[in-house]
Amino acid sequence: MSPVLQSSNPGAYTDVTWGQDTTSSPDPVENHTPWKKVLYERQPFPDNYVDKSFLEELRKNIYVRRYSYWAVVFESAVVIHQLCSVCSFSVIWWYMDQDLLSPQKLCGFGLAFTLLGYLIFDAVDKGAGRKESGRTRWRDLKSSLVFVAFTYGFSPVLKTLTESISTDTIYAMSVLMLIGHLVFFDYGANAAVVSNTLSINMAIFASVCLASRLPRSLHAFTMVTFAIQIFALWPSLQRKLRAYTPRTYTCVTFIFAVFSVSGLLSISSVGALLFFLLLISVTFLCPYFLIRLQLFKDNIHGPWDEAEIKEDLSRFLD
Amino acid sequence: MAIKIFFPSACSAAENGLLIGRWMAQHKSAVVLATLHFPFIPGNVRSYLSQMERKTGLSLSVIGTWSHSKKDKDEKMDNFLGELGSIFSHQPWLRMARESSSKFWDCKVERMEGEESEDVVLVYYDQRKLMLSELHSASEYSEIAAVFDTVAKHQPLFAKDKYDEGPVNLTHWQSDGVEASIIVELCKQASVPLCAVISFFVSLITSICNLRVLSGKPLSFLWSKMSTCEQLGRRLENLRLISSSEKAQDHTTFMRKANTFLSLFLDVTLGILLMSWLYQGNHIGQLADALIPVADRIALELQELLQWLMGAPAGLKMNRALDEVLGRFFMYHIHLWISYIRLMSPFIEVILWYIGLSACLGLTVALSILSDIIALLTFHIYCFYVYGARLYCFKMHGLSSLWRLFRGKKWNVLRQRVDSCSYDLDQLFLGTLLFTILLFLLPTTALYYLVFTLLRLLVIMVQGVIQMTINLLSSLPFFALLQRLCRSYRLAAGVKFRMLEQQQGKPLRLLMQINPLPYGQVLDTYRLPSSRCYPKDSWGSLCKKLFIGEVIYPWKQKEEKQD
Repeated sequence: MSPVLQSSNPGAYTDVTWGQDTTSSPDPVENHTPWKKVLYERQPFPDNYVDKSFLEELRKNIYVRRYSYWAVVFESAVVIHQLCSVCSFSVIWWYMDQDLLSPQKLCGFGLAFTLLGYLIFDAVDKGAGRKESGRTRWRDLKSSLVFVAFTYGFSPVLKTLTESISTDTIYAMSVLMLIGHLVFFDYGANAAVVSNTLSINMAIFASVCLASRLPRSLHAFTMVTFAIQIFALWPSLQRKLRAYTPRTYTCVTFIFAVFSVSGLLSISSVGALLFFLLLISVTFLCPYFLIRLQLFKDNIHGPWDEAEIKEDLSRFLD
Repeated sequence: MAIKIFFPSACSAAENGLLIGRWMAQHKSAVVLATLHFPFIPGNVRSYLSQMERKTGLSLSVIGTWSHSKKDKDEKMDNFLGELGSIFSHQPWLRMARESSSKFWDCKVERMEGEESEDVVLVYYDQRKLMLSELHSASEYSEIAAVFDTVAKHQPLFAKDKYDEGPVNLTHWQSDGVEASIIVELCKQASVPLCAVISFFVSLITSICNLRVLSGKPLSFLWSKMSTCEQLGRRLENLRLISSSEKAQDHTTFMRKANTFLSLFLDVTLGILLMSWLYQGNHIGQLADALIPVADRIALELQELLQWLMGAPAGLKMNRALDEVLGRFFMYHIHLWISYIRLMSPFIEVILWYIGLSACLGLTVALSILSDIIALLTFHIYCFYVYGARLYCFKMHGLSSLWRLFRGKKWNVLRQRVDSCSYDLDQLFLGTLLFTILLFLLPTTALYYLVFTLLRLLVIMVQGVIQMTINLLSSLPFFALLQRLCRSYRLAAGVKFRMLEQQQGKPLRLLMQINPLPYGQVLDTYRLPSSRCYPKDSWGSLCKKLFIGEVIYPWKQKEEKQD
């Protein structure tokens, strides 16, 4: 299924005739002096003269990349993971809010999974990453103690924090923050908008907002801890799994997706269907379109300066 | 250019004689100061004039002749006057003649260097007014300024009247008798020992104030915060200025002294009036009885305000727990305040009685004591404001730095800019947790801050109005205003000319009158310097300070100005 590209030979010179200019300008052949692209010599040509040799350096689509479909599908698993994380977080919150899930149970499961993940995290690369970063186990323990102590200490404050603020406002704020988390997350793209810090902070903010709606302070504590696990710790484990054991990673993605869809199904079937369609489209449809649309790519590169519109915003600043 | 002759209107009825005055060659004008009558000996006249020149430092000479014929033309007299010109050699030589039958005067200019005979303009002036007035806003070399200066400096020439024996016989504005007042002379005599006594006391008080015990660290801090002390210091300064035995050097110093004296006098008079009102009919007791309920009432109102804030004020979304904590804290403060007032209440009347005595030092001192009392009675409001502002300031700073952490940035102190920074996971988690908590608690703190800031601004406004009254009383130039009101010619802004008559072949006659200085300019020129400076903050920077929760002090500006 490899796509056919229009110009597969980057750097090929394309000869394009430049009709009008040769007739309007004085014929350089009469003068018998070849035109040179320099400014420091006086030449018998008008300032706006363009020579035939000008377009010899035109190139098309030099930066185009060929994608293979299944590689793109594999890469899209990162997006799937993040979508499923947000989905399962919301589902768990809903269960907690309805008192269908006790905080002790969630706490226990969370602790067990975190310990398991911690072991896997070291086992996957046999301790190579730990040696490289120089991070000791004692430091890990300290960090986790700080998490637990502060979250537990602040959980009564969190519970009364948004009492007077309307629930709809809280929901709107959380949804906005979670969408922000998905937008700014580092999916491996090299773009200016990506900011891992901002993405994690937005997720924590959303979780604190949602946790303040829960009935008791233990609920709030559990919810914030769960948010840390699913938004901060889980992606780093994922990254490692993807790098070392891609096959397991695909498996884990599939299981995770099935779990979150089924969790959503227990709340609302329509929502589950929509979410399933979203996952399918992200996994299969979007890569197809990406590769299909490469055919219409038409970039030209040459020895000219591209016109750039730079709006001078400094006059608005002061 | 026509030749101008400035002629004193007092001399227009004088007998025949010589004209004494000053010729100003650069302006082509002559200022006649007096007329000299027969009989005289030319040698005596010359020696008298040179004696005057030495006194005043300006040239003075016989510049022409004056004839005033009562009935008809006297040929003999004319010839005699013509011959006098050869005795006194002055260039040019004026010959003025007045006939009673005609309104127009004859005026000839002889011995003018190299030029034809020119037009002559006669300008009449009032010698007394010109001598006493002070010309403002004129350049140093203008003609009018030179005329004013000439007349003012020849005061010794006018000191002799016609009853005095002397070598010469003059006519000028005072020739019928010298103007003087017995009261003024007596005051002048009496003021000398009085000034000596006052300056002795002033130096004594100054030396006491400069003692090391009083200017030590804790006390000097206290003095600098109380407007009463500042006002007393000003009063001392004024007394020193008035009682100094030196004569005022120029007009400005004299006016400053006079203004200071009059404002001090007025101030003390008003203060004594106030004091007499206070001590008549037990007004002090009524005041003391009214003061305690007022303070109680303020505390009660504040309590009600706090109770309103502790509920749901104006439907705002406040954090209930924090709201309660803050409200109880402030309530406790008010409780303390009320018990303090109760403790004070038996002594209030005595204290007020003694404070009332200070009104004899002047109304401004009494007003500044009032301002200090207001500051003391609203001390709880000030405390609330400071607590609120500090809390709010802490929140704002925390929020701004945590907002940077939220975006993954940090403030670089070395480069004074915001840099991006990678944080650890636990830093991020803690920062965001705190950020969320502070953000949701901000409205509660901001509301308390807002309410107490408004109260504080109200108190500052009342104090500012009192301060402005004090400044007005102590900086208004009463003497200059009085002069402008009663003797408007004393402060001249310029002159205007009124045309009397004009006929072909005869000199033009003008009357010179003095334009008084407008009131606004009087205030601008003679305003006394006021020691207390207003806050120099612009409104924008004040609003910014209020927004970020910086504590504003009305007296802070002064310290910064000194730096």
